Amino acid sequence: MSGLEGARAIRVRGLGHTYPGHAAPALSDVTFEVAPGEVVAVLGPSGAGKTTLFRCLTRLIDFEHGIVEVGGRRLGELHGRELGLARREVGLIFQQFNLVRRLTAEQNVLAGRLGHVPTWRVLLRRFDQSDRALALSSLDRVGLADQAQQRADRLSGGQQQRVAIARVLAQQSALVLADEPVASLDPASATDVLDTLRGVARELSIAVLSSLHQVDLATRFADRIVGLRGGRVVVDRPTIGFDEADYASIFGRAAPVASSAV
Amino acid sequence: MADWASRAWPPDTADLGLLLVRAAETAAIALVGTTVAAVLALASCTAAARNLTPNAFVRLPTRWLLNTLRGIDSFVFAILFVAAVGLGPFAGVLGVALHTWGSMAKLFAETIEDLPAGPLDAVRLTGASRVKLVSYALVPDVLPGLSSIGLYMLEFNVRTSTVLGIVGAGGIGLELKNSLDLLDFPRLLTVIIIILLMVTIVDQLSSRLRRGLG
Repeated sequence: MSGLEGARAIRVRGLGHTYPGHAAPALSDVTFEVAPGEVVAVLGPSGAGKTTLFRCLTRLIDFEHGIVEVGGRRLGELHGRELGLARREVGLIFQQFNLVRRLTAEQNVLAGRLGHVPTWRVLLRRFDQSDRALALSSLDRVGLADQAQQRADRLSGGQQQRVAIARVLAQQSALVLADEPVASLDPASATDVLDTLRGVARELSIAVLSSLHQVDLATRFADRIVGLRGGRVVVDRPTIGFDEADYASIFGRAAPVASSAV
Repeated sequence: MADWASRAWPPDTADLGLLLVRAAETAAIALVGTTVAAVLALASCTAAARNLTPNAFVRLPTRWLLNTLRGIDSFVFAILFVAAVGLGPFAGVLGVALHTWGSMAKLFAETIEDLPAGPLDAVRLTGASRVKLVSYALVPDVLPGLSSIGLYMLEFNVRTSTVLGIVGAGGIGLELKNSLDLLDFPRLLTVIIIILLMVTIVDQLSSRLRRGLG
């Protein structure tokens, strides 16, 4: 799926942004990258700049400084149609799942093809065989092939988020950005969704960047942890080496007993 | 009034055939007018909805036009069109269509604005164009709401259309006026009974359909 190994990961260099009217920058000198097939968790207390970072990476914010390179293209320099094409390469997963409620799971997954298919096919809802096959295999990968004809608003939260993952797969993005993907889910569904996400990242060599606020989930799910505090990267290391000192530098206090198992 | 009422009994059914044709004409004015209005409202409502048209230079003029249409009653439009295109149901259809266009498009736009932003953003960011976004992600979620509004407007327009004939814009209103002018109370009673029956049947049908949409 991601033929251009290496070239299609995301590279962020010296990213900085200050909101108008604010003295302190929301992000400053943020630098990191994600390789294909790698799963990176962004950790940080609220207000650390996680949301701002994700909005910059899709250029929902026109950031002031730095370079964001997706699939070899510099996002900051693109406009109009070119920006749309570049965004198409990035799959997004949201805290609130954001499925179209009255469409079936399969139709929601096919929404991932909208950037690729001609308008008349969308108007008539006649997707060709290859698109439908891709949608069904994507649902199968997230374990929901049997729910293909179920309406999205009849699915549980965890199932809805897995349909959202399938939508990203149908989009054939080489990079997936997930902004607090499990914050609205119970612990069992959260684990389930993160396992699914990691599984497809491995199988299809997709680079995943996900913000999380639970350290124990991040250490179980990610290959690497990027810690943000006050808009700066204070930690960037493989999950294996993540320790109490890293926790303290991100959250400004010692790890609570519950997550000392890391 | 009691005297008028007593003189109206029994209702005069001599012209029943003609009166039923007039009633059907009234329902047809409402149906055609509402249908034309629905097409125009569908075409214009996304331009009036803030979440789909953030550009104020497009959205605000659209809203002004729709508010103007909504502000002029079907009856007033009908008077203008009787003068412009002559007597008959065509003037009534135009009157109903223009006023309903404004009202319906405003209600459609508000329904669209009430949608959660998340799913629309998600689909937009897959690279979907505006047409694809609206047809695929928006229509399925708003269609029940819009259909319900359309049926409600149809009910409303059947009631409105009963009086359009008074200004010569077609339908049973003409017979209402004639009977009243001639003080032919038995015939007037028949007209009123037909109107009541028609309005009740349409209201019942429409509310049953709307419940089914929920």
